[in-house]
Amino acid sequence: MNTFAALIKREILDGQNGYIRVPVILAGLSVLFVILSTITVGAELEFQDMAFDGEEPSLSRLLERGLESEDGQREMPAVVALSYWVMGGLAWVALPFVVFFSLLGSLYEERRDRSVLFWKSMPVPDWQEVVAKLVTPVVIAPMIFLGMAVAAQLVIALFLSIVVLFQGGPMTELWPLGFMLWGWISFVPDYLMWSLWALPLLAWVLFVSSYASRLPFLWAVLPMALVAAVEGIFLETTNFLQWVGTHIGGGVLEAQFAHLDIDPDTPREFYDLIIGAPRFDMILNSFGNMQFWIGLVIAAGLVYGAIEMRKRAI
Amino acid sequence: MTDNVIEAKGLSKRYGDFVALKSVDFNVPLGRIVGVVGPNGSGKTTMLNAVLGLSSYDGGLTVMGHDPSTERDALMQDVCFIADVATLPKWMKVVEVFDYVEAVHPRFDRAKAMDFLSRTNVPLDRKVRALSKGMTVQVHLAVVMSIDAKLLVLDEPTLGLDIIFRKQFYQSLLEEYFDEERTVIITTHQVEEVEHILSDVMFIRDGEIVLQAEMDDLTSQFTEVMVAPGNEEEAMKLGPIAKGTSFGKSTCVYKNIDRDTLAKLGETRRLGLADIFVATMTGEGA
Repeated sequence: MNTFAALIKREILDGQNGYIRVPVILAGLSVLFVILSTITVGAELEFQDMAFDGEEPSLSRLLERGLESEDGQREMPAVVALSYWVMGGLAWVALPFVVFFSLLGSLYEERRDRSVLFWKSMPVPDWQEVVAKLVTPVVIAPMIFLGMAVAAQLVIALFLSIVVLFQGGPMTELWPLGFMLWGWISFVPDYLMWSLWALPLLAWVLFVSSYASRLPFLWAVLPMALVAAVEGIFLETTNFLQWVGTHIGGGVLEAQFAHLDIDPDTPREFYDLIIGAPRFDMILNSFGNMQFWIGLVIAAGLVYGAIEMRKRAI
Repeated sequence: MTDNVIEAKGLSKRYGDFVALKSVDFNVPLGRIVGVVGPNGSGKTTMLNAVLGLSSYDGGLTVMGHDPSTERDALMQDVCFIADVATLPKWMKVVEVFDYVEAVHPRFDRAKAMDFLSRTNVPLDRKVRALSKGMTVQVHLAVVMSIDAKLLVLDEPTLGLDIIFRKQFYQSLLEEYFDEERTVIITTHQVEEVEHILSDVMFIRDGEIVLQAEMDDLTSQFTEVMVAPGNEEEAMKLGPIAKGTSFGKSTCVYKNIDRDTLAKLGETRRLGLADIFVATMTGEGA
């Protein structure tokens, strides 16, 4: 286990631009944008259907107005928690690129710069190397991004609290801790479920990285495009693209949410759907879905292939 | 129970139609320093890659009791190698290289590695990318010499380094690393620099082991004679395996001919490994 931890640490170190610097910078930027927009235009924001009765519009007034109705009181925590996700949303934009390009370079770069010969002089089995190179971008990186996003949300909440405090508004409304906490926590199982759906595609990129002697990007993308094109031209169907779409989408419509009424009317219903969704049902639905399992079998085959390629790599 | 570190029987490797290694047999015992000498493309690296579990092969091969093709990771507990110059990860800092090796290799002695490095000018917090070629090799050597392995394989370890460093390197290899419990295999083009530390030598040509011998035996077999004027005809009769001229005198190289007999022809001297290699590869000495 010590060895595997060292491998993960090495992977993070190798990709620290994507794994650490990028999310830190993006989280920082999202905080900065919130601060700047609050200072510059925040005070003049006008909201539809919200009259301020001639009073100067402010964040505090906005909160107070929102709390005036019963509906508003019920919706407020969800609205606030959701806004934090939106305001800190910038922190996430790089994640898909980080995951894709980390996987694509993982087994390719070490052959290109010959360091594979150094790694292989260590008593580390090839399968552990390959699994570490899969787990780091697919599991560890999103958790780091989540950490940064949480930090950004907290700083934003802190900043807005100070603003509201000075305005004499209902500062505690900015801390719907239960909602915030459940949002962060439920990201983890939801993401992991998604990654299992996406695993055949992620494992494909890993396999390409173990195989391509050059131009891994083209190797990853062109065969996919070719299969889709051939299918489209000769069969005039789009099954392959649908298959890819289902796996990228985490099988959402295929299985996970198929039984749910996805038609939230209010922020609270929407938030409940996300954080309070019957996760157990969703997991069961995925596990009962044939396409889910076929995808995992394909993924296992591709990871196995990548390990075999790694054994032969010099 | 033999003390062989490597036992190869019918070891072969082919790449498509090209046979890089033609069913070679050899054993390498414990406590030796073996020089593997051969021209480029002769199969040296192919052979070492098989021994190190870096590539597949046909035939029987046991290294430290392991089958390298399936047990590379277990093998690397006891075997260390530098397969090429500049294989250290360029994005790592020197200290991070040590951290990593310390975490994954149970036989790595960090204090020893730090001690090696303290005698150099290599800064610990510098990235490998920013080190000179010589410094990179020093870091890599500090790592492998601090791993308590039974077999160390060095494939052209000092390629592209200056002569002072090369001398120092072989010096410390001999004095601080090597003992009768370890075996070292070295391939190099600069035969002159290693011949004084080798205990055994192996010549490879076209995927075949042309010669495998202990250094002492080998060097006593070959004698070069500066043939004194008038003795040329007699010299030719003894069947030299190579002929040449130096300083206006003709020289002849003999294999397995009594030194006293040769002394009558002219001044004799032992042949260096490089000359033995050339004579073996070009003449009928094999």
